[in-house]
Amino acid sequence: MGAPIAAIGRSAARRLTRTGGLARFTFEAFRAIFSLPGAGRPVAGRLLLNQLRFTAVEAVGLVTLLSGIFSFLVISMAVRELGRVGAYDLIGRLIVIIIVRQLGPILTALAVVGRSGTAITAELATNTVLREVRALEGMGIDPNHYLVLPRLLGCIISVTILTVLFDVVALLAGFLAAGTQGMSGSRYIGSVLASLDSTDVWVTLGKGVLSGLVIGIWASYHGLAVRRGPTEIPQAVIRSTVGAIVMIFVVSALFVVVQ
Amino acid sequence: MTEPEAPLLEFHAIPMPGSAAGMFALSVMRHETVVVVGDENSGVDSLVEFALGLESPAAGTVATFSTDLRTLSRREQLAFRRRLGYLPAGDGLLSNLSLRDNVRLPLRFGSNFKTDEIEGRVDVILAMLRLNRVAQERPAQANEEQRRRAALGRALAFDPELVLLEQPFVGLTDRASAELLEIARGGETGEGGRRTVFITGQDIPMLLRNRVERVVHLADSRHLLTRP
Repeated sequence: MGAPIAAIGRSAARRLTRTGGLARFTFEAFRAIFSLPGAGRPVAGRLLLNQLRFTAVEAVGLVTLLSGIFSFLVISMAVRELGRVGAYDLIGRLIVIIIVRQLGPILTALAVVGRSGTAITAELATNTVLREVRALEGMGIDPNHYLVLPRLLGCIISVTILTVLFDVVALLAGFLAAGTQGMSGSRYIGSVLASLDSTDVWVTLGKGVLSGLVIGIWASYHGLAVRRGPTEIPQAVIRSTVGAIVMIFVVSALFVVVQ
Repeated sequence: MTEPEAPLLEFHAIPMPGSAAGMFALSVMRHETVVVVGDENSGVDSLVEFALGLESPAAGTVATFSTDLRTLSRREQLAFRRRLGYLPAGDGLLSNLSLRDNVRLPLRFGSNFKTDEIEGRVDVILAMLRLNRVAQERPAQANEEQRRRAALGRALAFDPELVLLEQPFVGLTDRASAELLEIARGGETGEGGRRTVFITGQDIPMLLRNRVERVVHLADSRHLLTRP
């Protein structure tokens, strides 16, 4: 009787410890923005540019492809079904609610988790196992400044930009899809523009920022939390990927509740 | 009458599993080169981390430049460590940077030197360590001796008065070890004397035993060798 309860208690304690660790890590990472020494700013800036190149620029093709195919399929089916019941005018509302507000940010964030989140975790875990992180601290370089901050900011900026790109491509793909289903271009554009408002822009940007934050924090935290050796690296990648995916959906749900 | 000079590095009543007395105490004076050797499980690997404030001993005190790093804030600790040279076990070179960039990193991140000054300093260090030919290679492309040289170059980037070396001679020939030791000690520092060098490891090459002031064996706190 006691053993299962103890096991549940241990599991809960582990989760609480991890949650506390993540909260503290997030705080330390943001504090690093203000404590970054002047001399280190050019170096951190260059690392940030590298991260943006890897996470944003090199992912443009993937996000464009995903958005184009997904949106073309969804919107062409939606136009066909709505056309049957004479509800063409709802297409704009549907696109804005389903793709721009919900699926665009989620799918973009998932693409970045798979592409960059895993890479960041594996890289930082390798740095930790090879004692490179310890060497940085020994040299007087804060790993938060050199390793975490550029990756965190890179993820936030990249996911935000890529989310906007996803939505823009989705709307363009929708234009093509609507055309193939017999809906006129002007009617499609009118329906979309009538449904879009400034809230959609803020929701898209907000989700992009928060999803980027989640990816950067989860990937960095689990990468630097490796202690035992190289065999722990794949486990760290799994923990950070699963955790980030869950949190991306939580972020999305929070926006629905708050709106 | 002048007061006796304070040790640059002092361990006082540190509990160590590998120490016969259970406690470890040691003072390293200016310009000394002191080696502490011990088994893998003796705790010898922790001594440098204690000195840098990267780890805290269970009890006792460690004073580096008469300062207990545990009393400093994190930011002060980081700034303090830039006064020291540190060569970690296994080199600790950043694998995604070239050897040159590894040597340059502490100067670029932790100093306000101009780019020209940094490059000049790095050139001198690389030449001193005979790394010019492989300076653009990544650590994975260099051999063990070259990596160790680069790690030492990085440790000496700020021309520190106190240099802390963890297992610096593992896998090196006696000749290479002797050369690295001489470079670590340096002929001159800013104050005109040799650097103070503190080395930990599981062993020290026989050739080097007559080149250092003290070799302390952690197992029995026995001074294997003490030179005036």
